[in-house]
Amino acid sequence: MPTKRSRLTRALRPAPQTPRVADLLFEIGTEELPAAYLPSLIDQLARESTALVHSHHLTAAGVESYGTPRRLALIIRGLDATQRQPAEEIRGPAKQACYDPQGKPTPALLGFLRSRGGSLADVKIISSDKGDYAYLVKRPVAGPTTKILPALLAELITRLRAPKTMRWDATGVRFARPIRWLVALYGTTPIRCTFGRLVSEPRTWVGLPKRPRAAAVRSLQTYLRTLKTARIILDHPQRRAVIEQAVRRLATRHRGEPVTEMLTHGLLDEVTHLVEEPVPMAGTFDPSYLALPREVLLASMAKHQRVFAVESNGRLVPACVAILEGTPTRPATVRAVIERILNARLADSLLFWNEDHRRLPLHQMAEQLAGVTFHARLGSMDDKTVRLRALAEPIAEAWGLADEERQQVRRACQLAKADLVSAMVREFPTLQGVIGKYYARDSHEPEPVAEALEEQYLPAGARLPTTVIGAALAIIDKFDTLASYFSVGIEPTGDQDPFGLRRAAQGIVEVAWQMHRSLPVERLLLTHKSSAHRQPSPTASAGRTAPDDLTVAAKHLKKYLFERLYTFAWPTPAPSQDCIDAVLASPCNDLVDTMDRIVNLQRLSGQTELLKAAKVIERTRNILKGAPIRQLDVDPARLQEPLERHLWEVYTAHRDRVLQLTEQKAYAEATTTYGEAFYTPLHEFFDRVLVNVPDEPVRQNRLALMRAINTLYTDRIADLSKLTLVQHEESA
Amino acid sequence: MQFQQLIRILDTFWERQGCHLVQPYELEMGAGTFHPATFFGALGLTPSRAAYVQPSRRPTDGRYGDNPLRMQRYYQYQVLLKPTPDDVQHLYLDSLRACGLQLEEHDVRFVQDDWESPTLGAWGLGWEVWIDSLEATQFTYFQQVGGLDLEHISCEITYGLERITMFAQATTGVYQLAYGPGVSYGDLHLANERESSRYNFELADVALHQQLFTLYEQDAHRLLDAQALLPAYEQLLKCSHTFNLLDARGAISQSDRPRFVLRIRTLAKRCAELYLERQGQEPNNKGQGKQQTAWVVAT
Repeated sequence: MPTKRSRLTRALRPAPQTPRVADLLFEIGTEELPAAYLPSLIDQLARESTALVHSHHLTAAGVESYGTPRRLALIIRGLDATQRQPAEEIRGPAKQACYDPQGKPTPALLGFLRSRGGSLADVKIISSDKGDYAYLVKRPVAGPTTKILPALLAELITRLRAPKTMRWDATGVRFARPIRWLVALYGTTPIRCTFGRLVSEPRTWVGLPKRPRAAAVRSLQTYLRTLKTARIILDHPQRRAVIEQAVRRLATRHRGEPVTEMLTHGLLDEVTHLVEEPVPMAGTFDPSYLALPREVLLASMAKHQRVFAVESNGRLVPACVAILEGTPTRPATVRAVIERILNARLADSLLFWNEDHRRLPLHQMAEQLAGVTFHARLGSMDDKTVRLRALAEPIAEAWGLADEERQQVRRACQLAKADLVSAMVREFPTLQGVIGKYYARDSHEPEPVAEALEEQYLPAGARLPTTVIGAALAIIDKFDTLASYFSVGIEPTGDQDPFGLRRAAQGIVEVAWQMHRSLPVERLLLTHKSSAHRQPSPTASAGRTAPDDLTVAAKHLKKYLFERLYTFAWPTPAPSQDCIDAVLASPCNDLVDTMDRIVNLQRLSGQTELLKAAKVIERTRNILKGAPIRQLDVDPARLQEPLERHLWEVYTAHRDRVLQLTEQKAYAEATTTYGEAFYTPLHEFFDRVLVNVPDEPVRQNRLALMRAINTLYTDRIADLSKLTLVQHEESA
Repeated sequence: MQFQQLIRILDTFWERQGCHLVQPYELEMGAGTFHPATFFGALGLTPSRAAYVQPSRRPTDGRYGDNPLRMQRYYQYQVLLKPTPDDVQHLYLDSLRACGLQLEEHDVRFVQDDWESPTLGAWGLGWEVWIDSLEATQFTYFQQVGGLDLEHISCEITYGLERITMFAQATTGVYQLAYGPGVSYGDLHLANERESSRYNFELADVALHQQLFTLYEQDAHRLLDAQALLPAYEQLLKCSHTFNLLDARGAISQSDRPRFVLRIRTLAKRCAELYLERQGQEPNNKGQGKQQTAWVVAT
């Protein structure tokens, strides 16, 4: 047990209390809550109770919430003993609408009073410059908090949400699991709170499930002491720390340490919420199972028994640490059973592994993908494989891959989904890709292909593909998923995204940026369209389009993909939103190039060069806005004024340089060059020359010049008029 | 504790809790949930308490008797309690104590496992009960059956008899279990596992069973039209088992699967609706009602 003092142990010391405030204890005793629900339920308990305390005009010194599989506990410290509803004046109808000619109150007035809980005696007419109005004057009310707590606490339970809720008796009340007892105490005063058939009583339960004992609760202090005596660690962060420490300690006995990813990736969190009285126990398994891949061993141990694996110098040792609920009186028996079951489970995994190996090589497994559905409206995994292979070509081209790499990307696409038909993935769905990697190796596929099969499912957490082939497959697979779902009208909405499309889009951006290789979005969309052509999923949104036109759905996807740039985790300093706005307002096709433009603009932010370029864009845009353009090219012969001729000379002198810099993706330099070149001559031009002259040919020629200057930049880099620095100046 | 003793102990325990020991149903089924005592018992308002062993057939789980834990036929001990008593978890733990399990010696856990049977249109929330990390029981509060929201919530407790006995006897393989005096589980079942695995995976006639599925399905609909509830439900059971056999033969592709499941679920829904409709008629036609709900305990 750690000696670090938690919030709870501090609470064990009696706090000096004045009679004006007291601590509230509310415990919701349940049958075992799902571990995955607990963190949210605990948060909601604090949040919702804070809101309720506030809305009931109460104040409190602090709100704490805790949880175990069998109880949710709320502690409100220093809660007012008296509820004080402040004086209030609520405006009602206008005076003339309140009383009829006989001076009797109208239905309007009575309705107002009814809705606000007032009586005629409380009505006062108040005059202001807006006229005379009836006001309901509520006098300050003071009442004992204990009177409102029953309703407040019952309301609190109904506010707690869970992903799935259930009914368990005829009252029809719902919760994540049945609620079996309630404890509500204000100071030492029991509060009578009801939920369904249940009535709160000042007693809790400990020793569940195998040694249930009821224990009287007289105050917060006795409650906390009771749990402590029963070795229940209510404080979940502390429970997590205790478990982690125990796992580390027992792992050391096997000359190892717990596998880090099990502590960081969920298992520790899950186990924390699977027990309230954690007791660690170490065990071993048959070393022959170490022949299985590490990932398989970890998945089996985590999934089937929620036990921690142990490693030494990065290699697994045949040991595990289990966290039990309460101390068993015959630990040797328990250990023997846990070990027996672990061995049997691993034997099962080995069986699947061997069974799959009889079906290798992997490309033979891939042949069975026609029988695996991708999505009812999008065909099988075999259909998906065909599309992946088609998408490999534009990627290989855009990335300038050598022949060998090209072959590997194609091969990786061919084998990408093959492991979905394996017994291993059927048993451990989370190991898709990982199993593919091992089976590809065992089928003598090139190592980059094997690696790619695992990396296709990245990013996961902070992990990104590290190989070129892996990154290519990761992008291709996600792109196909997105384009396919969009093509049948399935798009993520604000709160609904059952197929994880938002994450897929985000993943493409992350991988593309990490690889920093070109990603021609339109080309990919067109390739997807033609490769999906043969599939039986024509829908309205896919529509009939010429081969080189993007469908409506494809345009949606393109927009959606580029919009991910707003939430992308940019390297700091992150570009501001208007900076992204400006770049996206210009034509975008290559995702990574677009990102480069954004980063370059970001680098210039706050500098005069950027402001100059922005002013040029803004002024030319303003003059072009709404103007009828009938002439596209400037006719130099028709330039009359010296200043416009000068501007044209500046344009012809700098155009190639700007284009060249753009071509080289030296966007910052291009911006500087552009701003420096045009800022002064353009301002002089505007000071002296009128664009919108009555002489239409002259006017059109000047507009063409403005357009040439504007689009030289905005067609390629960004529409800087979207920058807020420009807009601020405009309004100033 | 021998296998047959465990059954006797559970029978005695649940009989004392007011359960009818309704005995196994004599048609092939994948789980005790398919037994009419559970499927119909969970529907409607009539209180119901039943307990029984149900031999359960899962053709795809066959391993020719080679795997010590997986079989294509095994036994479930099933308890259905409606309405659910408030202390149902404690009752269940008491039943384990009755089986001679000293709970204090062990690690007992209720680990979330939300159960669902797509073919029966049934689902519920509950747990796997772990004893020293062995999954000994499935514990479910039904929320829907036949695609219909339940008015009264039932609790379904499904014991894995083999696992519990293996646990008690500390054996690693199911076939070594002592079934009764001088007879092992393997003596009684190993030959069947081998032969049936061969039948399920190799010999079952795919064309015949595809035809049978359709015939059973058609007949079920015909019988439902004729208001013959139990005969129709039996055709549903046959459909379900035929589907499982076809699955084991590899004759059902991933894309076919949802359609087969839907066809069975459609039957389940019709059966559930007809049953509820009849229950509504009961006061007017007591004789008929009594016949239909022969497995339902009226209290």
